Amino acid sequence: MESDYAIEAEGLRRTYRTRTGWLRPRRETVEAVRGIDLTVRRGELFGLLGPNGAGKTTTIKMLNTLLIPTAGTARIRGFDVVEQTREVRRRIGYVFGGDRGLYDRLSALDNLRYFAELYGVPPRDQRRRIAELLELVGLTGREQERVEGYSRGMRQRLHAPEVLFLDEPSIGVDPVAARELRRTVAGLAAGGTTVVLTTHYMAEADELCDRIAVISGGEIQALGTPAELRSRADGRRVVEVEAYGVPDTAISALRGLPGVRETSVEDRGALQLLTVQSDAHVDVQGDVLRELAGIRLGRVDSREPTLEDAYVAIVGAA
Amino acid sequence: MRTLRLMGIGGALAYRALFNWTTPAMYTGTLLAGPTFQLLFFAYLGRQLQVADDRFFIVGNAVLAASTACVFGGTMAVANERRYGTLGHVLLSPRSRTVVFWGRVLPYAGNGLLIAAFTLLMGVLLLGLRIPASALPGLALALAAGSLACGFFGLTLGALGLRFRDVWVVSNVSAALLLLLTGVNVPRDGLPDWMITVGQLLPITHAAEAARLLAAGRGLDAAAPALGRELLVGAGYAVLAALLLKVFEAESRRRASLETL
Repeated sequence: MESDYAIEAEGLRRTYRTRTGWLRPRRETVEAVRGIDLTVRRGELFGLLGPNGAGKTTTIKMLNTLLIPTAGTARIRGFDVVEQTREVRRRIGYVFGGDRGLYDRLSALDNLRYFAELYGVPPRDQRRRIAELLELVGLTGREQERVEGYSRGMRQRLHAPEVLFLDEPSIGVDPVAARELRRTVAGLAAGGTTVVLTTHYMAEADELCDRIAVISGGEIQALGTPAELRSRADGRRVVEVEAYGVPDTAISALRGLPGVRETSVEDRGALQLLTVQSDAHVDVQGDVLRELAGIRLGRVDSREPTLEDAYVAIVGAA
Repeated sequence: MRTLRLMGIGGALAYRALFNWTTPAMYTGTLLAGPTFQLLFFAYLGRQLQVADDRFFIVGNAVLAASTACVFGGTMAVANERRYGTLGHVLLSPRSRTVVFWGRVLPYAGNGLLIAAFTLLMGVLLLGLRIPASALPGLALALAAGSLACGFFGLTLGALGLRFRDVWVVSNVSAALLLLLTGVNVPRDGLPDWMITVGQLLPITHAAEAARLLAAGRGLDAAAPALGRELLVGAGYAVLAALLLKVFEAESRRRASLETL
C-alpha cells in the first residue's frame, strides 16, 4: 500500500562496529545515527544539513536500502526499506557527489542505456526517456562521447532527473554548472519528484529546500523551513573579520567576550575568516578588534545573520 | 524477454564498461600474443623434455588461453564497479542480481572462445598440428564450455571482491593454479592425488581433456563425458557466484562492510 508520505522514518539508528589489528584486535563502536524521526511529503524538496560525520550519508543509505538500520523503521512511499527492498528500489534514485559514479569508457548514451536496463525502464520507453534526459541536461549532440571527456559538472548532470536522494551533488562543480544543477533539481521537485538533498552549501539549501533538518552527532538538532531556521539566529549580530595567522589563544579569547554566542574560523588559504555571533544589543566589534591587536587584518564587516549563521549556532549548541 | 534483454544488452554494455583490455593494443598484446607465445614456450619445452607431443600442448594451451580473459574478466565484472564508484547503482537496482551478473559473464565467455580458437589456429599454423575437420564442431563446443566455466569461475572470484578489497591477488593466484592443476601443460597423472582432486574442481580441466580427445579424432561420443563434467563445473561456479553475491550484499547492508561509492 503506497503512502501519501514519500519518506517516513521513526527512531532510525545505525551503529558501526569496527575492528582493527589481528593479534590484539581493538573493537570500536560508533553510533553514527542516534534516533532520527522524520516525514517528507510527496513532492517536497527536503534538505539534510550537518557537519562531516554528522550522519547525513548514513541516514540516506538507510533510507535507500544500502544499509540496514540497527534500530527503528523507515518506509519509502509506504514500503519498508528492510523488508521490501525491491519495491523501494523501484521508486528511488541516488546520486552522490564527487567525480565518480559513471562508467568512464561508455558514452553518455550507453551509460543511460545501461542504467535504464538496471532500473528496469521498459524498452519501449527507453529511447524517449533517454532523449528527454539528454535534452534536459544539455548533452544532446554529445551523447556519443565517452563520459571521461566530460567535465565533472556535466557528468553529474547526467544523473539529475531520476533522482530522489542527492548526496552533496554540487561538490566540486563549477558555479555555472552548479546553478544549472540547482535549476534542474528545482524543476524535478516542481514536477512532483521528492528530493532529499544533503549539501554543505547553505545558499543552495536556502534557495532550494522547502524544509531543512540540521543533523549533528547523529541526531536532528533542528527542523523547519529555511525561514524558521534563520529565525534561530534572530536577535543576533554577526561580525566577520578577515585575518592572517590568528593563534588559538586569540580565538579562545574571542569566545570568552561578553555577549559572544558563537565563534567560527574558516581557513581560506593563508586567510582566515573569523565569524563572531553576538547578542544583537551588544556591540562586540571593538572588543573583537582589541583581542586581535597585532594580527594582520583584512576586511571587517558587521551584518545580519544568514541561514549559515543559524546553522553554526544550531550545530555549535549541539 | 526483459530478463534476456538485461542479460544480453546489459551484459554487452557492462563488458565494454568494465573490461580493462578492450583497446586494440591491450587486447592484441594481452589476449592474443601472450597466449600464443606461452603455447610456443610450452610446446618447445615439451619437445626438449619429451614430456608429451605437440598436440598435448597446443590443445591444452588453446583451452587455457581463454582463462586470462574469462577469469580476470569475470573478476573485473564485479571488482571494477568499485573503481568507477558505480557499485551503489548496481546494488540499488531492483533487477535480479543473478541475472545482472550472469549476463555479464556471457561476453567474456564469447571472448574467451574467440581467443582459444585463435590460439589453436596459431598452433596449427606455427607448429603444423593436423586436426580432422570433423572434429571442429566438437572442439568449438569444448572451447566454449571451458570459456563459460572460466567466466563463472572468474565471477566467483569477483564476488569475493564484494567482501575483500584485494581480490586481484586471488585472481593472480588462481591463474597460476589453472596452469598447474588443470593438466593443460603438466600431465595430471604426474601430479599428487590432492592436486588431481583440486584440478577436477577447476574449470578447463575437463574441457582440455575433451578437446584432446576430439583433436585426436576420437569423436564427440568419446569426449561427451568430459564435456559434461566441464559444464557441471561451470554450473557449480555459476551457482556459487550467485550465492556469494547474495550473501556478501546482504552482509554489506548489515555490517556496512562495503564501500559502495
